[in-house]
Amino acid sequence: MNLDWSIVWQSRGLLLEGALVTILLTALTMAIAVPGGIVLALMRGSRFKPVALFATGFVELFRNLPLLLLVYWAFYVMPVLTDLSLSPFTTGLTALCLNVSAYNSETFRSGINSIRKGQTEAGLAIGMSRAQVFRQIILPQAWRRVLPILASTWVSLFKDTSLVSVIAVGELAHTAMQIRSQSFRVLEMLTAMGAIYWLMGYPQAKLTDWIHRKYGARE
Amino acid sequence: MTAFTRKNADKPPVLVYEDVRKKYGGFTALDGVSLHVNAGEVVCLIGPSGSGKSTLLRCTNALETIDSGTVRFEGKPLPKADADIRKVRQRMGMVFQSFELFPHKTALENVAIGLTTVRKLPAQAAEERARALLAKVGLADKTANYPANLSGGQQQRVAIARALAMEPHVMLFDEPTSALDPETVGEVLNVMRDLAQEGMTMIVVTHEMSFARRVANWVVVFERGRLLEEGPPQQIFEAPTVERTRDFLSHLGWDD
Ligand SMILES: Nc1ncnc2c1ncn2[C@@H]1O[C@H](COP(=O)(O)OP(=O)(O)OP(=O)(O)O)[C@@H](O)[C@H]1O
Ligand SMILES: [Mg+2]
Repeated sequence: MNLDWSIVWQSRGLLLEGALVTILLTALTMAIAVPGGIVLALMRGSRFKPVALFATGFVELFRNLPLLLLVYWAFYVMPVLTDLSLSPFTTGLTALCLNVSAYNSETFRSGINSIRKGQTEAGLAIGMSRAQVFRQIILPQAWRRVLPILASTWVSLFKDTSLVSVIAVGELAHTAMQIRSQSFRVLEMLTAMGAIYWLMGYPQAKLTDWIHRKYGARE
Repeated sequence: MTAFTRKNADKPPVLVYEDVRKKYGGFTALDGVSLHVNAGEVVCLIGPSGSGKSTLLRCTNALETIDSGTVRFEGKPLPKADADIRKVRQRMGMVFQSFELFPHKTALENVAIGLTTVRKLPAQAAEERARALLAKVGLADKTANYPANLSGGQQQRVAIARALAMEPHVMLFDEPTSALDPETVGEVLNVMRDLAQEGMTMIVVTHEMSFARRVANWVVVFERGRLLEEGPPQQIFEAPTVERTRDFLSHLGWDD
């Protein structure tokens, strides 16, 4: 088998662009799915039953469907249902947000529930409103507890964004696959793709470990 | 026996409980409690575990709702609307057995938070007031400490300062020294005694019988959600009129 690694260097511009799209997808998904998760967690705790029911349904649906299916669903079914025609990027982002929001909501829910009831009562007892107690007392404490889990979610998400390549979003996986099919350099491109994912993912994983050590398992 | 006149008996009471009842599921926690607290009085609630002492305090500032009866604060029944309840709560300081300081805030921030978020005081003014209150409870040098870096007794004093920041008309203490190491109990009780001497109206749930005896103006003995007996400390500790009170006190090793 003769290998020709020059294809990788020749495609560096495209690969870099793909890598940037991957990072952008990850960052945007988290930027939406973190507040989304908080809102869903709050809705699930709502005393207004239909709101709680809706949120529970949402979370249980999108958390338990394979992400790949969600991606296809967002691509083929959502435009028909909503009459919206979104770009592949926005469609992929939507699918990722649905899944990760549902996932984050569970993270936040357990984080919020882990804060003693006495903390809420202490806030209420000085005359704070429930909203003030949540923002100033509960969320900052829950935040520290969920940060390690959010970091792990980020690391999985970073890799899972590759799934949106199936609907031709020009992120790293899709870009590498395109170059592969044009150049027939399968092994070279797969290796390059793996190396780029790993080089970007490894520092994130290390950072996550550090966050776990700093914030995990602590009162 | 000479007639005993309660402190400020000629003035309207600060708190009045009328036939207050509270159930948790099938369990009756408060079974028709009637009681009043006069201005400037220190009322100690004593009684066995599970007798409803905490529940009564929590019904006082509406952390729990009552099933029937009335709790009157400064003449008015506790309001129903959330905004009104919040106004009432500002007038009632509460101190918890487990302190419940906010761990992500410094001592100073713990005391100032009510002033900035509830009273909407400017940060500067809130901080000054918080500093003065921490000095008052003997913690002028601990303003920058986080709760994790304070002893139990210090934490509880911060919690008292936090409650005092809202300028309450009555302070509710739920076993404020039960979670403390014996050596730090005294510093908290001293702060409470000073408050009492300044004329603060206080309800204190406590197992510290010596505190009840020396500082209380009125002692209420609870059992199974009811008042067993109430009276001045001399009566409760020296000549209880109810046999069960005597049993309870001797159970605590208090029989002289
Ligand atoms: N949220 C709740 N749900 C169910 N039962 C409760 C609840 N809160 C209190 N109780 C019950 O009500 C009874 C009275 O409780 P309360 O905490 O008022 O007792 P207490 O006199 O303060 O006792 P202790 O000295 O142990 O603090 C107890 O039997 C307790 O188990
Ligand atoms: Mg209690």
